[in-house]
Amino acid sequence: MSATLARAVPANAAECGEILADATRNHRTVRVCGSGTKSYVGDIEPADVELGTSAIAGVIDHVPADLTVTVRAGTRITHLAAALARAGQFLPLDPPHPDDATIGGVIAANSNGFWRTRYGGVRDLLIGTETALADGTVARAGGRVVKNVAGYDLDKLLVGSFGTLGVIVEATFKVLPLPAASEGIFAELARSPDVFAAAHAIVRGASPVAACVVERGEGDTWRLAVEARGTASAVRRAIQDARREITVRHGRAAELGDDLGRLRELPARATDGALVRVALPVAATAPFADTAAGLETFAALVADAASGVTRVHLAGDDDAVIQDAEALLLAARVVSGAGRVERRGERLRTRLPAWPQRPSGDALMRRVKDMFDPAHVLEPGRSAFA
Amino acid sequence: MRGLVALLGPAKVLGTRDDLLLYEYDGAVDTATPDAVVLPESTEDVATLARFCHEHAVPIVPRGAGTGLSGGAIPVEGGVVVSFARMARILEIDVPNLRAVVQPGVINLHLSNAVAPHGLYFVPDPSSQKACTLGGNVAENSGGPHTLAYGVTTNHVTGLEIVLSDGTAVRLGGKAIEDEGYDLVGTFVGSEGTLGLVTEMTVKLTPLPEDKRTLMAAFATMDEASETVSAIIAAGIVPSAIEMMDQLATEAVEAAVHAGYPLDAGGILLLEVDGPRDGLDDARAKIETICREHAATEVRVASTALERERLWAGRKGAFAAMGRLSPDYYVQDGVIPRTRLPDILRLVKDAGARHRLRVANVFHAGDGNLHPLILFDSRLGPDELERAKAAGLEILTACVEAGGSITGEHGVGMEKNCYMPLQFRSADLAAMTRVKDAFDPAGLMNPGKIFPTPSRCREFAFAATAR
Repeated sequence: MSATLARAVPANAAECGEILADATRNHRTVRVCGSGTKSYVGDIEPADVELGTSAIAGVIDHVPADLTVTVRAGTRITHLAAALARAGQFLPLDPPHPDDATIGGVIAANSNGFWRTRYGGVRDLLIGTETALADGTVARAGGRVVKNVAGYDLDKLLVGSFGTLGVIVEATFKVLPLPAASEGIFAELARSPDVFAAAHAIVRGASPVAACVVERGEGDTWRLAVEARGTASAVRRAIQDARREITVRHGRAAELGDDLGRLRELPARATDGALVRVALPVAATAPFADTAAGLETFAALVADAASGVTRVHLAGDDDAVIQDAEALLLAARVVSGAGRVERRGERLRTRLPAWPQRPSGDALMRRVKDMFDPAHVLEPGRSAFA
Repeated sequence: MRGLVALLGPAKVLGTRDDLLLYEYDGAVDTATPDAVVLPESTEDVATLARFCHEHAVPIVPRGAGTGLSGGAIPVEGGVVVSFARMARILEIDVPNLRAVVQPGVINLHLSNAVAPHGLYFVPDPSSQKACTLGGNVAENSGGPHTLAYGVTTNHVTGLEIVLSDGTAVRLGGKAIEDEGYDLVGTFVGSEGTLGLVTEMTVKLTPLPEDKRTLMAAFATMDEASETVSAIIAAGIVPSAIEMMDQLATEAVEAAVHAGYPLDAGGILLLEVDGPRDGLDDARAKIETICREHAATEVRVASTALERERLWAGRKGAFAAMGRLSPDYYVQDGVIPRTRLPDILRLVKDAGARHRLRVANVFHAGDGNLHPLILFDSRLGPDELERAKAAGLEILTACVEAGGSITGEHGVGMEKNCYMPLQFRSADLAAMTRVKDAFDPAGLMNPGKIFPTPSRCREFAFAATAR
């Protein structure tokens, strides 16, 4: 934000804590920034201090035999991936903005990709954190072991907290051996009931796939991207099964190129209009996608058929975009899903709030916020409740 | 007591001495008698009793089946024990969305049995799954043998209805994979009844694996068994379960269950791989080879479902079988990075010897989650339990020093709350206190659990100041 007055780049947790304590004492608001890939989220206001985590970076400890890695929050996920790959392992997260996103940002924004159902999301893979709090103290939660129920699970509280409770400075994750094989298919199907029926059959099949994503862009066709990862024989079987589900529904299957990479990048591409992101009970995904595709301002849809997380890009006349965005969030709510306007064009920023509806449990969330950041200096406006 | 009867009716309140005695223990070693027991039948009942307790500043202690192993359901500071025995209905099985909505008193195994006709199951399978409740699983964030590949309770809960200590009912999450706002579902799971009372929960159902391979491998020493575990992981195989048992545990299990484990083995591994049929035999063959490379004296593959069940019956019945060896046992639940298994297991043995007690080991080796069963005989005097606890503390201290945790799945409860400063600094505990104060500012939910209390933890104050 251009109105930011000061930029602070702490070198470690203690310095980070000092900056936050100082901000709390002087009622100066703080924006937290990894590499800034998700700065479009929320209804943010100009802040007094921008705290960058870029100097708190690097892998602290990777123990391949324990399948765990401890890493500083400012580390880019590409750097972590490279370090893990040298030992034949990987962190099974495939979030948007893969080239630049940092570990801290991925945790704070609960930034998941299409592998979530297969391998678990950020909340499932994160086993320990160290966080600088608004009063300057540095609190650890969880640990470096894969199973641990000592005390409250503050790691979960931090996932998706968008920096509103503290600044994550260090994290420990479970990691996995790199799969021996991976293969994918990209198919076109004419009708929405077919594409979702195929997707659900693939997701429920005996042979689990790593990703199963429905796309609808310009034109009338629906596309399905499927990726299998694992042992060679399991991958072969999964792809065979997926192909069958597609061909019985008259789809045409080709080999998967970088289609998943392209689909992951929808939030980066959707700079105009509005990008609505919802999490739905999976069976509600198909009717929701039909509703979306029928909207006046519909531009693109990417639906993770395995997790029910669906993004819809709307573009066109401002008033129509606002109306359609609100309609989609309402449609999600009707099926007891939840969502937000994840990104908006600059013109819509003041007209279309990121969270037109308050989450359930809102009052309790505010109490949690008040306990961790009583002066409300952390990330004002970034989330619905802070 | 009279106030509660007036509010809820006599059928939902127990208060005679005989009744209360039944609620003074759980699966662990500590006891305390409640002032009253309430058996709510609805969320409204729970809210009513919470409001009453809030008004009269009475502690509230939720209780499932009382199978907990850290004293979580013990009313250590008195008050009302809330038993969920009458809120035990499966409200909905939603096959298309892979979810079930249940009341907290539903027994873990009953849910898996109920959804089995749909080809589904509920993944967390604590050894007590025939008796323990799902509400208790949420409170303790329970695990089980199959959490290595599929996660613990928190990875399988997407929605909760909770009643706070002031009587407010709050819905968090739902059937979708996530909700907007803070992940208070994830924050609540594992809070051991200290943040509120669960009155309804939405859990994930998982398609049953197409097939499984179950192996039992016997080794001359625990060291060889431990090294085998590391080698399997290093080979890029993540089995759905890797359980380990020492000779003393095997002796008890064989006497009680006749699972067919070799009695002369120093260490036994029980391994399972599951998933799509293709590739299972490859994984099984690789595991078999690694076991033999590490000097396994016997590798047995279950060839029928019956054989598999028999192998598992030994593991699941292990705690109950300890009665064959000793009138009492004190089970610990420390976690270590799995690469540290060999040296910590030696240390466990030494700790037992130092306190003149036998220790049997039966545990989740794949997770590094130890369960040393410290055998004692309370008939010989109070000193026996004290020595068992002292040995337990030495083991937990070693776990923390190895970079691990004082509890992997049994919870802190009133058993280990004084030990929390071993693992957490005061700033860490203060952060947890903020969560407690947001949910339960009156401090009425299950007091005396998780957090060190000045009155009971005086002798452990050294640990807090040392860190």
